Amino acid sequence: MTEPLIQLDRVSRTYTTPAGTITAVDDVSLSLGESETICIVGESGCGKTTTGRMLAGLLRPSSGRLLFEGADVWEKKGQDLARFRRAVQLVHQDPYASLNPTRTIAQTLAPPLAKHKKAHGRAARAAMISLLERVGLTPPTDFLLKYPHQLSGGQRQRVSIARALTVDPRVIVADEAVSMVDVSIRISLLDLLHNLATEFHVTTVLITHDLAVARYFGRIGRVAVMYLGKVVELANTEALVSDPAHPYSTALIAAIPEADPTITRTKKRVALKGAEVPSLLNLPPGCVFHPRCPLFEPGLCDVLVPQLGDLPGGRSVACHVALRERQPAAELLGVR
Amino acid sequence: MTTLATTARRRDMALPGPLASAFEFLRMMSKKPVGLIGLIGVLFFLFLAYVAPLIVPLQDQVDVTAIYAKPSWAHPLGTDFQGRDVVNQIVYGGGDIITTAILAALFSTLIAITFGSIAATVGGRLDALILAITDVALTIPQLILLIVIAAIFRPSSFFALAVILALLQWPALLRQIRAQVLSLKERDFVEAARSLDLGLLHIIFREMLPNMRSYIVIHFIIAMTLAIYAQAAIMFLGLVPLSGKNWAIMLYFAYNQGALFFRDSFFYLMGPIMAIALFQLSLVWLASGLEDVFNPRLRS
Amino acid sequence: MPVLSVRDLSIEYRTRRGPVQAVRDVTFDLEQGETIAIIGESGSGKTTLAVGLIRLSPRSARVTKGEIRYDDGKRAFDVLSLDAERLRRFRWADCAMVFQAALSAFNPVITIWEQFLDTGRAHGMSDKHKVHDRTRELLDLVHLDPKRVLTAYPHELSGGMRQRVLIAMALLLDPRIVILDEPTTALDILTQRAIIDLLRDLRARLGFSTIFISHDLSIAAELADRMLTMYAGRIVERASVEDLFYRPRHPYSVGLMRAVPRVSGALGSVASIPGSPPDLIRLPRGCSYYPRCPFHVEQCLEEDPPLLQVDTPQHEAACIRWEAVAAALGSDAEAPVAEKLA
Repeated sequence: MTEPLIQLDRVSRTYTTPAGTITAVDDVSLSLGESETICIVGESGCGKTTTGRMLAGLLRPSSGRLLFEGADVWEKKGQDLARFRRAVQLVHQDPYASLNPTRTIAQTLAPPLAKHKKAHGRAARAAMISLLERVGLTPPTDFLLKYPHQLSGGQRQRVSIARALTVDPRVIVADEAVSMVDVSIRISLLDLLHNLATEFHVTTVLITHDLAVARYFGRIGRVAVMYLGKVVELANTEALVSDPAHPYSTALIAAIPEADPTITRTKKRVALKGAEVPSLLNLPPGCVFHPRCPLFEPGLCDVLVPQLGDLPGGRSVACHVALRERQPAAELLGVR
Repeated sequence: MTTLATTARRRDMALPGPLASAFEFLRMMSKKPVGLIGLIGVLFFLFLAYVAPLIVPLQDQVDVTAIYAKPSWAHPLGTDFQGRDVVNQIVYGGGDIITTAILAALFSTLIAITFGSIAATVGGRLDALILAITDVALTIPQLILLIVIAAIFRPSSFFALAVILALLQWPALLRQIRAQVLSLKERDFVEAARSLDLGLLHIIFREMLPNMRSYIVIHFIIAMTLAIYAQAAIMFLGLVPLSGKNWAIMLYFAYNQGALFFRDSFFYLMGPIMAIALFQLSLVWLASGLEDVFNPRLRS
Repeated sequence: MPVLSVRDLSIEYRTRRGPVQAVRDVTFDLEQGETIAIIGESGSGKTTLAVGLIRLSPRSARVTKGEIRYDDGKRAFDVLSLDAERLRRFRWADCAMVFQAALSAFNPVITIWEQFLDTGRAHGMSDKHKVHDRTRELLDLVHLDPKRVLTAYPHELSGGMRQRVLIAMALLLDPRIVILDEPTTALDILTQRAIIDLLRDLRARLGFSTIFISHDLSIAAELADRMLTMYAGRIVERASVEDLFYRPRHPYSVGLMRAVPRVSGALGSVASIPGSPPDLIRLPRGCSYYPRCPFHVEQCLEEDPPLLQVDTPQHEAACIRWEAVAAALGSDAEAPVAEKLA
């Protein structure tokens, strides 16, 4: 296994409010290699956006480290830090807010090209055209003089991606980048992001609440499922979707409404006890999922916090019961 | 596919810039007649103040036989206390006042933008300091302060006068700029600019400022009106060394030379008053019309 | 006898650039107890249609033609011809609307109880106690604790809870028809599941007819009996839910089916629809889907195709090439579209 490109090493992020301390992200570790595609999925409040922003270096962890090429990012200074900033880019969710409304597309793409590639005038224009082609905006010359309000949501997202690409990033974090885009063009945007990884060796992280999107995007990669600030399962996407290990993942996959009447009306649902998600101010003891968990074992789950343990097949899960059930042979043999 | 001209023809609104956009600008202004009248008025007075003096020769000779003459073809608004033509004085009287007003507005805008942006981006104690100074400046009665300063410093050049006037007007715009920058700071495209390591100056001047154009332009115009009032006030009160010709000085002389008491000198008194008033009105109407042009929600 | 009959409904907006034909010649029936899903994306006109059905459109919108016939067996009238007073009685008592559960659907400075009271009073329920009893009854039906919810302000409730409140509010006067605009968009997966199950349950218990407006195909798959797909202001296909999912005949419907990835089963060949929706101010001549359609021919540019019957009488598609579409999909009637095109 080659050296990971970017890593979150036991990071946490807490906020102090008058009402108490909120732990948005709790002890999360993630290692990403070059050209990898990975999704972070979860429902609202699970900490996936916070994790993504910490990965992009836009938010400082309250504890733990962010490592890029082995070095602690928040210890970097000057040129070194600037290089990191350019190496990891974020693509935002809202296509209407991610571009400056008073600037044409050319005026949006020009500054990073001028500053970092020293490209001006004709050279810059050529670079812009090539970038716009790469993100599928053709013919590129049509778009250069347009303002964001003259483009559709999907086109704006492509411009955002093009802008991110002006600095040749090594990592792109797409924060719900397709959620506000029309259904019929999501796939093409996801394909674009996917290509960046496979053809251009950009590590791509997609944060989403939509498991179907995650499955499509991460089909050759991994997915991390988060709940209340913790990663509860980390596995290859196809493995997770066909055979989820954590009861929360199981419930999520079972709950998804599918765009297929026969499947969705006959799918077996997993009943969770209690519909309400606990407040981040008042997390349950032990495993944070235990109040709703169908596999709950008193004395174990409400006392001991489960850690991410490895299972065969390159997956890990943070559940006492799942780990025990799926690894009996290893336990018996004392191999661990 | 589309060039800017085609865009203008198709009437897709792009923000002011090249010729096609100027066309678009005029079209939007014409939707609200007040704005268009204001624009015409302002252009008229600018022409009168800067271009007309190049055409009409200055009539500076004292003519004792024509003191306070009645309006006639030779002198459409009569003459002043030294027999000089009033219309001529109005033509020559605008330039100084308007130039000073423009300079004052320019200075106050620059101060407000600079310190407003710094306060919002740096934050912390510097922000608190700038705000405190602004609040103090806002609460001091402006005209009185101006009178006091003018009386003490007796500015003799228009530049100096402009600087003094500017010092009294920056507080309002500074607060607005600061508030805008604070909110724009959090926007996604500004965050993207930070990630792309484009530098603080670029972010302020290229990303945020263009989004505040409406505030800045409208403030500029209103600052001009305030500067003109202030000038009229201190010159009328005789607090400034009276060199040169301008409408305010005309007022001073008219008043002090008894134009109030003669029927025939009516226009000598009212001429400069109307000139100032109409110019102010044009400015205010122009600002009102521009408000609509800049409001993105009123566009298609 | 259908409880709602819409015929040739057309709505246009005035904008600076010219009139926008947001809804064009929409015709459909809603039978008693039936659930219809109207699926479309941005620019399809579905939201304009939804608010237009109860005449809640903004001032800049105008109904240029058509009729909306309501008939519950006892009364029958054209909704478009109602005066203000009768319209107010029609709304909520006969036909209610559930908006998307964003915070903007609520008055932020009053409690939930006060919103119920306001709604009740606005539609003729003057007795405060009656409103209170009915509210409690409805909150129980939607599985919310009245004690907790009634005294709360909108921002204190989660998205799922707000959606339930909106559903309860819509049922206040026991309407025959409930229109829901994007009921599960922006909700989490588990919350979506809960809302979908709730709607199914309520429909079974109370027997109202439902119209869903959404861009989300899965809610149609879950709850709809029949579906309509809208594109550029027109209905382009009308069919039962199985027919539309497994045997679509309009290229746009086919494109939509292909564009939605699934979690269960094989991925199939998922693909986006190239291009973007047309400019509704300057609609091109002929079929508005032409530029994005893989099945188009010259003839498609001649005129906007009417809804033609395909396969069965209940299945219609506005496409002159529907037979080619059918052929491309093959004869396997039950497999999903993405697999057929893989």
